[in-house]
Amino acid sequence: MSAATVLPFLRPGTPPWPEDAPTSMPTMAIDYRLFRPVPVEARFAVRGLTVLLGLSGEGKTSLLEAIAGLLPADGTPFRGQPPQRRPIGYLPQGFALFPHLRAWENVAYPLPRGRERRDHASALLARVGMAEFAERFPSALSGGQQQRVALARALARGPELLLLDEPTSALDPATRDEVLVELAADLRRLRIPTLAVTHDPHVAGMADWVAVMAGHRIVQEGSPAEVFARPTSRAVARLVGVRNLLEGTARTVAGGWATVEVAGSTLRAPAPAWLATGAKVGVAIRSEDIALGHPVDRAGEVNAVPITIAEMRPDGLAVRVRGAEPMALDILLPRWAPAPPRLGQQTIALIRAAAVHLVRP
Amino acid sequence: MSARLPLRLLGPLALVLLAAPFATLIAVTDWHGFALSAGDWAAVGTSLGYTSVAMVAVIAMGTPLAWWLARHEFRGKAAAEALVLVALLTPPLALGILLASFTGPYSAVGGGLNRLGISLTNTAGAFVLAQVYGAMPYYVLAARGAFEGVPGDLERIALTLGKEPWQVFLTVTLPMARIGLAAALALAWVRALGEFGTALIIAYYPQGIPVKLWVNLQDQGLGAVYPLLWVFFAAALPLPLWLGMSARRVMRP
Repeated sequence: MSAATVLPFLRPGTPPWPEDAPTSMPTMAIDYRLFRPVPVEARFAVRGLTVLLGLSGEGKTSLLEAIAGLLPADGTPFRGQPPQRRPIGYLPQGFALFPHLRAWENVAYPLPRGRERRDHASALLARVGMAEFAERFPSALSGGQQQRVALARALARGPELLLLDEPTSALDPATRDEVLVELAADLRRLRIPTLAVTHDPHVAGMADWVAVMAGHRIVQEGSPAEVFARPTSRAVARLVGVRNLLEGTARTVAGGWATVEVAGSTLRAPAPAWLATGAKVGVAIRSEDIALGHPVDRAGEVNAVPITIAEMRPDGLAVRVRGAEPMALDILLPRWAPAPPRLGQQTIALIRAAAVHLVRP
Repeated sequence: MSARLPLRLLGPLALVLLAAPFATLIAVTDWHGFALSAGDWAAVGTSLGYTSVAMVAVIAMGTPLAWWLARHEFRGKAAAEALVLVALLTPPLALGILLASFTGPYSAVGGGLNRLGISLTNTAGAFVLAQVYGAMPYYVLAARGAFEGVPGDLERIALTLGKEPWQVFLTVTLPMARIGLAAALALAWVRALGEFGTALIIAYYPQGIPVKLWVNLQDQGLGAVYPLLWVFFAAALPLPLWLGMSARRVMRP
């Protein structure tokens, strides 16, 4: 194997990853079925950095292991091949670095024996910004550093698909976001289709493509903006962090808009194609999309719902407010407001019409 | 404080208990007339030489068995585990009698081997056999624990890095289990060298150190036992001590 085939991204003149050209994203179609330890059926596309979002117990890790050939399963790509023949790079939770090998020896592990082995490993470590840590043992590296070494090791085989299991679980909370942003940028530059599974919607927000798993199957896929803005079911809405999941009845459907009766109030919302007048419908509203204040006169653009403040508590740098009577709403407000709400106060919840998502009940 | 006091006393007490017989040995040894008996050096050679051969057999057969028990689920696994324990449980003298019944000249197996020119009574083969039976169960138990201590994740990730299963065993499993395997080998070595009961029945000859200690006691009395015991310690201890220290030195955190 020459350096060029092992390390395609080290070739001079490799263009940087075009951030805004999704059509040229490296893509791979996944179609897998497995029965043990959990039955999983997964058909979706990996496009660039793809995040598979699902709760614990959905079988996300099992799916990754099946694609890696570590669990018996049927599916494409790589059908029937043993794990050692599958061109994948697998980063399990905790990264599974070999504790008895130094960083560079870990990276060199998959490389063929020879004089260039050490140089290849050093180049890979440099590629992930870990050159100065080559002589360290994994126990002397932080979670983020271990992740980079594991990535370099996975790249040494020249994988056609990268598999990441809960990439943020072993990271320091303080630096988690920073590490994640860098990792996402690196993965884009590598131009290798990457599948990361997680239960953390925050990770999904940085992806090129999101697939959502519920009930052991894929229930929605699309760009993060699409999936976050328009969850198609209550399960997806909950997974992408929507706290307000109400039930209502469609009163009118016309011109792409609907009015829905929810707990005695009427809300205006974009109408999905399947919606019919009189139908029961789920109503999903993000806590961040609700404000308190006086009704504004922009007919149809903003819904105004009278509520009573039933509970207020700090939530990180914000304030979480529970409104009740007649509509139970979870609202996230900035911690400073010119006229802060008071407990028991009767006020108006303002909800932008475009932020009310109607989902199948 | 009062709860800690017994713990502070019990640890040292255990050491004192362990040390007592050997302190006695220092006291009772006739240091001025220190001399080995006739045949003692031959017994040292027999013990060290054949125990080394037995260790090769124990490692060659016990390592795969230990790995198999540690990493695989199969029908009859409980029976295989019980078998290892029974071999461990059987008093060595009784094991010797069973082996004599199995491989002795009047048994079917022993008779058949005899016709092939192989005798497993009072021969080098019998000596090694006694030691393998004495050491193998200890080795298998300890080596199994060592293999079980290797995270399965690391073996699986090595597969995804393109290594064949045998390469994974050599490059991940063995190095990571090395402290435990070294301890297993050290245990097997001291068990085999000290093997007396089984050897007494099927390998009175060639005489290894434990049987020669018995012979010295019978023929010459206590005074002939102590010098050979000192030589036994000097011959038997270096390997397990070296194994323990070198495995820890090579295996970094």
